[in-house]
This record gives sequence, C-alpha cells and structure tokens, in this order.
Amino acid sequence: MACKILTLVEHESGAIRDTTFELLGLAHRLAGEAGWSASDIKALAIGQDLAGPASSVAARGAAEVICAEGEAVRDYTCDGHARVLESVIGAESPEIVLIGHTPNGWDCAPVVAAGLGVPIATECSNVAFENGRPLFTRKAFNGKFIQVVDLGDARPKVATVQRGASPAFGGGTPGTVRVVPAGVAAGELRAAFAGVKKGETGAVDLTQASVIVSGGRGVGAAEKFGVVRELAAALGGQIGASRPVTDMGWLPHEHQVGSSGVTVNPKLYIACGISGAIQHIVGMKGSGYIVAINKDPDAPIFGVADVGVVGDLFEIVPALTRAVKEAKGQT
Amino acid sequence: MNALVLIKQVPNTDSPFRINSAGTWVEEGNLTYGLNDYDRYALEELLRLKDAGTITELVALTVGPERASSALRTCLATGADRAVHIKDDALAAADPLSVARAIVAAVKDGGFSLILAGLQADDDNYMQIGPFVARLLGRPCATAVMRLELRDGATVRVERELENNRLQIVDLRLPAVITVQTGINEPRYASLKGIMAAKKKEIRTLTLSDLKLDAGAIAAASARFRTVRLAPPPKAKGAEILSGPADQVAKELVRRIREKTGVI
Repeated sequence: MACKILTLVEHESGAIRDTTFELLGLAHRLAGEAGWSASDIKALAIGQDLAGPASSVAARGAAEVICAEGEAVRDYTCDGHARVLESVIGAESPEIVLIGHTPNGWDCAPVVAAGLGVPIATECSNVAFENGRPLFTRKAFNGKFIQVVDLGDARPKVATVQRGASPAFGGGTPGTVRVVPAGVAAGELRAAFAGVKKGETGAVDLTQASVIVSGGRGVGAAEKFGVVRELAAALGGQIGASRPVTDMGWLPHEHQVGSSGVTVNPKLYIACGISGAIQHIVGMKGSGYIVAINKDPDAPIFGVADVGVVGDLFEIVPALTRAVKEAKGQT
Repeated sequence: MNALVLIKQVPNTDSPFRINSAGTWVEEGNLTYGLNDYDRYALEELLRLKDAGTITELVALTVGPERASSALRTCLATGADRAVHIKDDALAAADPLSVARAIVAAVKDGGFSLILAGLQADDDNYMQIGPFVARLLGRPCATAVMRLELRDGATVRVERELENNRLQIVDLRLPAVITVQTGINEPRYASLKGIMAAKKKEIRTLTLSDLKLDAGAIAAASARFRTVRLAPPPKAKGAEILSGPADQVAKELVRRIREKTGVI
C-alpha cells in the first residue's frame, strides 16, 4: 500500500466535481516529469455510498480509488475529512498530495498538513518539476506577483490547486476501487454538519445580463457609483461589483461578480476601478468582450481584458457614457 | 469566556510594490503598513461579543517585527483589552508552520474559548495560520465564516461560505478556531477616546526563548518552505491599451464595442 501521488476526490453527495479530474490530469503530468508510473497515482474519496461514482474516477485517471466510508463523514466537516486524510496519507506515504483549492479543500488541507507536521503550498496555479524538484507556483499579494515555492525535503508535499490549473485527465485507466471504513466515529468529532443554505438573493440576476458595467474599490465610495450607473443605463446593462464594494456595503451582495458571488458571461463587461483579484477574474473571464479602466497600469485586470484604458475612471467613464449616448442617437 | 484574535500587519494595497534584489519577496523599504483587512472583520466579530457581555477578555496577538506593534495598537484602540507581540529576528523568514507553532506556544495555556483570525493575509494570501493553530491545539476549525453564533457555553454555530452563493452550517464544539471572510460585519473605527485608552493598555512582548522555542528548529522547518522566486504575473494575452484625451478614447471604445459586441 503505497503511492507517489494522492489526489482528493471532490464530490457533492457522490456527484464528482470537475476539479477531481483536473487534479488527476496534473498528477499524470507530474508522474511523467518525475518518471513515476501511472499506477503510482491514487485518489481518495471520503463520504458514504461512493463505490459507484468512484468507478468513474478509476476509469479516468486513478490507478486506485480509496473510498473511506462512514456515516460520520457522509457530509463534509473539516474535522472528519482531516482525520481520514491524515490516516490515509500515513498509510500510503505519497510524495505529493493534491487537493482542490475549493471551500472544502482550503478548509481541511492546512489542518492535514499541520497534523502531519509538513508545510503546504496553497492556491497553486501550477505544479511542475524543475531540475528534478517539484515547484509550486501560486499568486501572492492578491495576484500582483507570482510566487514559486520549493517545499524542500518535506514528505509529503501538500498543495491545494486552483480550479482550471490543469486540463482534466483525458485518457482512460483500468483503475480499481477499494472501499475501506473511514475509521471515524461521530462521537469523537468536534464538528457537526447542520445543513447547506442559499445566501441572500435579491431582484438582480447578473447571470442573464448581456451588458455588465462593474465598479471596484477604485470607485472610492457608495455615493460615487453614479458614473458607473449612468454608463450601465446608457448601455442598457446591469451593475456589477467586485468583493470590496459589497463588503463595504456600497452595493448589495447580489451585485458581486466572482468566486464568492456570481459567475457571469455577458457580451460586454466593463470593469471600472477593479484591480482584478483572481477571485473576481474567475467570475467574469468568460465574458465576450472585456473593457478595463484602471489607474494602475500593472493591474491584473488588464491581463484578461481585450482593451484597456489607464487613467482616472471619473474622466473616462463619463466620457464613455457621452460617447455611447451620442452613438445611439446617430443610429 | 475569553477570546483571542490573531492579526497581521501587512503592506497597504496601494503601496509601491517592488521585487527585492534577491527576487524572492518585495522590497520592504518603500511600503506603508496597516492592519490586514480580513483581520479587522475577525476583530469586529469578537468586539460585538464583548459588547454583548459574552466575552470577558479579548486579547490580540501578532507575530512580526517592531513595526507590527502599531497594528496591535489599532486593536487596542477599538476595544481589545490587551495584546501579545511575538517578536524575534529568528522569525523574520520563518515558514507559516513555525509561525503557528510560536502562536501555539504563547496561547496554549491561555484558556481562550474562541480564537478568530482573518481568512487570509493580504500579502502572502496563504490561508494557513488559523487552521494550523487549530490542529496544533487539537481544536475544531472552520474557515471563510460569514456568520457566527454562540449557541450555549459549549457550541458555536457558523456559516461557511461555499461557491455559488451557498453557505454550509456547522456546529463546532468549543474551544474552536474560526477564520472569517470579509463582509461578515462592518468593522468599527477607533474613537479618539479609544486611541487614548489604548496607550495605557499592555502589549506583552515575547521572544523565542520566552516561548522555549529553538531558532535552529525554526530554520530547519523554514528550509521546507522556500520562495525560489517572486515575479510579476505573465502577461497572458493582455489588453490593448488605448491612450489619448478621454473623449477621443471614449469614441474609440464605442467603435470597438459596436464592432465586437453589437450591443450599441
């Protein structure tokens, strides 16, 4: 019982999430770089009644899927998942452990690392061997910089990996499924699952909008949102926002675009005073045409925009509103 | 009950960031610093419990160089009762696990029923210290919490932020460690009276020897978390940047929007 790479299966009540296959895609590339065999890649699924769904993971990348099952771990809790992960990692002694950087992944992965006494590289956008060593690439300073981390002689090397960091594994594998008891009793857990609920919702539905004009921290204050509103009105679009804007109460939460808000794909997305933290970008990068207006020429938003203007949004946005009105008047 | 907030002083996001000559972190000389934004929300959540009489003593703790004491003063000025500053040159380049071990050495006998921290620090974005401290203390943990409610003296119910505007509800047995997401509350600002009162409050400084920790062990652990390089992100395709007078740029934008999207 040993493997080189162990990945965590992310699922919701047995429905396997795409992250799982992306981690396996990454695992196969890393195994290739390290000269390990595909049979050295295993996946761990934690929950109840997983043997059926696990077989799809065994067929798409994992040489073995270990299903750690038990009533106490049917629903995710950090305490339950971390205990199972620590014990399975102990038994399998992998070199590398890959966990999705999802709300559950980032919740339990550092707990597991601390339990094993090893460091962890979080929110990695890439893992790759360089001169024989696995290096972990992640963003720092909210995306202003890319940091490359070497975890030295740590064993295992634990990482949480961003969604989309790797293509999903595309091949087929003759993997097996092994069901084992999770070995965790509800009574010993100090966390109890009490349900999942919808967050606040309002009348605004940005997911259906064909034009979205979004404001960020750069707008500066709730009462300064007028320029954003006027441009949205001129274009017949909706108003979006980045996280700081809704956190500060300038706009209600339902306007928030990004990983903790909504994912949007309008024909036109105009970002005003939004620096472009990764959490925002994942929610809007699928837009048809992206315009960014920001005073900082190094703002990451310009990396995903089609066209950008570096300057004061309070000059450019009103000028754009006038030009839109004028253009509409001419047609 | 007593509570602890773990805080960090971080560079202000509008500071001029430059990569250092070794290419491993940012040049610190040009930066201005403040209390990490996420931590303001963690502090506020505990201040509310203190206002309600649920928390008797609220302690703020940081690990950092001399300058970090001003972030502790900010906590004291808004209502924390006292502060602990773990300060040692041997921690300057320490890995996150060593930082967590230092925190645990300082607080393990402190009798804190609740330990709160921000979900992440605005500089390194690691998201590790809270969960690390939880595991090393043997306590349950929840991250990215958007709502926190003490049910009785033994349980705290939290709502964790999931994707797609959903929340997971979890009951944690106390003592527990929780990291909070921004937006959980509206952090208060210090009053003039609070700022004055903070000057009389205690900031206790602890070194590695006070904590009975070994600098050699920290150096060894830190070799397992080494930043090989820090670099600007690769410019993917990158936007074409328009320049010129605002009205002219606006006309050009309209032309392109019309051509590419047809929405005008």
